[in-house]
Amino acid sequence: MISNTSPCASKIIQFIPILICIHSYGITGEHVVGTEYVKMTPSAPKNVWQSKVNQKDVELLINSNAVLLDVLRDQVGTLGVKRGCDLGTCGCCTVMIDGDPRLSCLCLAGQVNGSEIITVEGLADGAHLAPIQACFAKFGGSQCGFCTPGFLVASQALLDSNPNPSNDEISEAIEGNLCRCTGYQQIVDSIQEAAKIHRGENATPKAASDPHPDPHPSGPGEPSMPPGHAK
Amino acid sequence: MSGGYRQQPGKSSGKRRDGKRVAGQQKFPPPGSGGSNPVMEPRDLDFIPESVGGKEPQPAGSHIHDRIRTGTVVGKSLQLVDSNAKVTGQAWYGDDVRLANETIGKILRSPHHYAKIISIDTSRVEALPGVISVATGQDATNRFGVLPVTKDEHAMSVEKVRHMGDLVACVCAETEAIAIEALALFDIEWEILEPVFDRKKGLEDVDEPIHWRGKYHLSRTNVQKRVFQEFGDRSLVDDPHAASHGKWSMEGVHHGFTEPHAVVAHWDPNGRLQLYTPQQVPHYTHRALSTVLEVPMHQINVIRTFVGGGFGGKSDPFPHEMCAAILSRKSGRPVRITFDREEVYWINRGRHPSDIEVKMTADDLGRISGFDIDALIDGGGFASFGHVTSYYNGVLATAPYELGSFHYTGARVWTNKPASGAMRGHGAVNTRCAVEVGLDEMAEQMQVDPIDLRLANLLPPHSRTITGFRITSNGMREALEKVREGSDWDNKFRKLPLGKGIGVGCGFFISGSGLPIHWDPNRFPHATVHIQVDMDGGVTVHTGAADIGQGSTTAVAQVVAEVLALPIEMIHVRSHESDTSPVDLGSYSSRVTFMNANAAIRAALEIREQILNAAWDILGYHPNTLVLNDRRIYYKHDPSIGVSYLQALHKAQEDKGALIASGAYRSPPMGGVHKGAAAGLAPAYSFSSYVAEVDVDVELGLVKCTNVWAAHDCGKALNPLAVKGQIIGSCHMGLGQVLSEKMVYGRTGHLQNANLLEYKIPSIHEMPHVEPIIIESCDPEGPFGAKEAGEGPLLPILPAVVNAVYDAIGVRFRDLPLTPDVVFKGIEKKRKSLKLEDSLDLPSPRLEYGPMQEPLVQRAAEHKIRDKARQRTEDTSHYVNGVLFGFDPNIPLEDQVDGWKMATEPDPEQLAKLGLAGKAWLKKTQREMGDDD
Repeated sequence: MISNTSPCASKIIQFIPILICIHSYGITGEHVVGTEYVKMTPSAPKNVWQSKVNQKDVELLINSNAVLLDVLRDQVGTLGVKRGCDLGTCGCCTVMIDGDPRLSCLCLAGQVNGSEIITVEGLADGAHLAPIQACFAKFGGSQCGFCTPGFLVASQALLDSNPNPSNDEISEAIEGNLCRCTGYQQIVDSIQEAAKIHRGENATPKAASDPHPDPHPSGPGEPSMPPGHAK
Repeated sequence: MSGGYRQQPGKSSGKRRDGKRVAGQQKFPPPGSGGSNPVMEPRDLDFIPESVGGKEPQPAGSHIHDRIRTGTVVGKSLQLVDSNAKVTGQAWYGDDVRLANETIGKILRSPHHYAKIISIDTSRVEALPGVISVATGQDATNRFGVLPVTKDEHAMSVEKVRHMGDLVACVCAETEAIAIEALALFDIEWEILEPVFDRKKGLEDVDEPIHWRGKYHLSRTNVQKRVFQEFGDRSLVDDPHAASHGKWSMEGVHHGFTEPHAVVAHWDPNGRLQLYTPQQVPHYTHRALSTVLEVPMHQINVIRTFVGGGFGGKSDPFPHEMCAAILSRKSGRPVRITFDREEVYWINRGRHPSDIEVKMTADDLGRISGFDIDALIDGGGFASFGHVTSYYNGVLATAPYELGSFHYTGARVWTNKPASGAMRGHGAVNTRCAVEVGLDEMAEQMQVDPIDLRLANLLPPHSRTITGFRITSNGMREALEKVREGSDWDNKFRKLPLGKGIGVGCGFFISGSGLPIHWDPNRFPHATVHIQVDMDGGVTVHTGAADIGQGSTTAVAQVVAEVLALPIEMIHVRSHESDTSPVDLGSYSSRVTFMNANAAIRAALEIREQILNAAWDILGYHPNTLVLNDRRIYYKHDPSIGVSYLQALHKAQEDKGALIASGAYRSPPMGGVHKGAAAGLAPAYSFSSYVAEVDVDVELGLVKCTNVWAAHDCGKALNPLAVKGQIIGSCHMGLGQVLSEKMVYGRTGHLQNANLLEYKIPSIHEMPHVEPIIIESCDPEGPFGAKEAGEGPLLPILPAVVNAVYDAIGVRFRDLPLTPDVVFKGIEKKRKSLKLEDSLDLPSPRLEYGPMQEPLVQRAAEHKIRDKARQRTEDTSHYVNGVLFGFDPNIPLEDQVDGWKMATEPDPEQLAKLGLAGKAWLKKTQREMGDDD
């Protein structure tokens, strides 16, 4: 048997009906090269896509069949949205669409035209990390960090609607996200700690760029010994 | 005084929406203007060892690094130094590297399991508009591989493809869509060959072996490596008091990291290759690139991006990295190749599917008289780390128990499947599971508590195993005691109702491989760290250690901060580029914390000495009487006499500028001299013990692990938060292997579940509650006493769960994973054998202590006293494996025991009795057959 498609390519074709999207196949125009070559699909028309990504208005020309994940990563430039599996199994690409966590790899960009999208880059308030971000860092919710953006968005969505979640509610909220490093336990701890901040029980974290002066500086004209010590 | 300056000049309004202040509007004093707290804080004595005046108890006695402890960060739970980048989405992983003018590369993969490539015609590909360059195997025919002894990979298949998904050709194009389209235009003529999928068939002669090793090739089989080891007194195994014999079949497991492989290669205008890749071992990639591309190493800069999970799966030099480099060289443009999830499984390097047979015996005193292990492992299409795995499957079972004899036969065969390789717990996991379950079975025969059986047979600290590994610190006993106590074992074991069970398992793992993979004819250190301190007082650490999420960067920053008594924010670790970082062998075999942190301590000590000498100049007190505190150095007996860190630093920098120091680590000479003695040799070993509790649905066969008490001896937890994270994460990965994960190869050898939907990684709902327990045995050579914590914690979870399942339903399983169908069949078989109507009537196993219980408990109590004295080095006498059997540790065992063996090849009369993998010894090498081609 002579086959000239790779197993991966054939798998992609297999998944097309499931994904209802043809995100990476044959969208290149009118090339016909060689006599045996048959074009897979006609190229997609371009559409204008207007959305608010991380509170910034974005207007782009996208393929009508473009997947949201590709648009966000390749065109909008929010590389914090991670591509883990393309099949909606790992949750790394979770973004908030009008407040709901959604998998951007299973979402056509056209479907969410005009909506408000928040990615992991949109969680922080300037230099101030969102409580969920600070807690993931502080309580070990992030190890290699690749799944972290998805977890952050999913748990932020939970905390927005429920600032006092039980462990079971947290489990339900992040059940669509896979993490291979942490075993989830420290992720749950982090979310619980962030919930405390949301409820006002714990103080909001300081910005990393806040001043933190040197306790024992020295400089010209300054005493080099503490008070009370005679040279 | 200065009027102050804005840290973030700009248009900030000064107030956030929530009314909080914004940093940019605040004034703060510039360095040198006084600061807020001119008197130093007292030292935090909680984190300074008792032996040097602090409050921290040191269970194993004083440590060589105690005197340099400043109480700054070691032992404190800190967030990872790169975690803020990760939580803001700014961490740059492989696919996040976007260079200007980039092209997208795609790889053409083999649709055949095993076939010769007769010809490849790329003319139609090249004609496709938008295609930039095309490459095939003929563009780079040099072989590479992670181990120098088994270089059997090519950038792309040269002569034949060896598994479905093997690389055939690659192409780069303007867009991903064009590149994918181009893959369909290769015209390839194949000659299909007969594939081998069954590892047992790999032992047989075939017409066309998957690789050919010339005169070292074993007959015409597909055996890549065979191992034979026999140690100890084999007469002890005759007439055993208790014996266990188990044949295990373990499925292949994948690392399942969330980040698919990705690489960006850019041949820059100066003719240097800049290669961005998420690699655990950038240095070996560097070497392989140099070999394959035929350019000197200094013309290549390997840039390690953030690594989205490794677990061993990103520790080989990969062919796609070569492909990207070749395409970039041809096109003159950056090439980015990103795998989809399916391709990740085609490149694999996961845990070897294995057939393991373990026979073990105990004598009438409850001593373990023999381990007889036979492991046949399925290596897939390439060697990868397999040479080492073949050894690890046996030799890492020689501790923590004292053995009368040890017999191991192992073989690794090539099959036409994606290559197996190194994965967390490399080589030790499957055998460990088999061994620990066997011990449980023997304990049942002897009617003793399995924990007591273990406690009475442990090797003490500062001892030598039967194959000659040097054990230093050893927290095994404490780990077992802690999990026994924490889990309320004595009230649960063999006392729970049907369907509920509790089980124990132990683990033993290396903390860094004693022999570097590339043992060049030189004495290169295992790890080197450079430190630079410039006039601003910040410390820049250059290291090649690859942080794969385990926190190695944090560990290095921590030890430097500890030695110099600086806040960790002042330590900046640069570890991404091979251009700027000294050679480090990479993140494998749990070596980074041990070796790299040791190197960092040595470098930091040099800086410390220079700063203290400068303080001596200023203050007139000898450095021995000076104390380092947070950015202040003061006289021990009068803390008001002191000098600030900056002032001392500036004094030290007079006439020479920045302080520079370099530190290196090299493991001490150790181990035996027999063939394979270096495999499994490590400067320190970690120990762990878990107790797992499970619920088994007797009617459905569904196993749910509910609780785990996980004690791990990591020597010293530099960062308890990170250690706990490693322990819980290891539980997660091990639970996946024991309960749900397997790579399913169908009847036709095709990998059927190459995606995260059907390859079942435990989700949060499958995770039990894990109680991480850190045991600190303070290793004498570890950095501040630390050992590894990344891989060892995975080992005990498998046997603990299997033993717990037995406790719950009385069925002993020897096929992993324990998916409901496997468990259901086991329950049904048991039900039918007992002639019961309903599986809910199955009897639960119960334990009545036999006559051996009491003597074992007594021996364990005696050994506890022995171990404590040895751990605290109050007792420094020799101890070698065999003392429990009455031998004198000061006389070589072979001199005092008639028939004490040390063999690495079987005797001819043994050949007929060898197990499955041992059959490899029935074959002769080409050299022995007189065929020297």
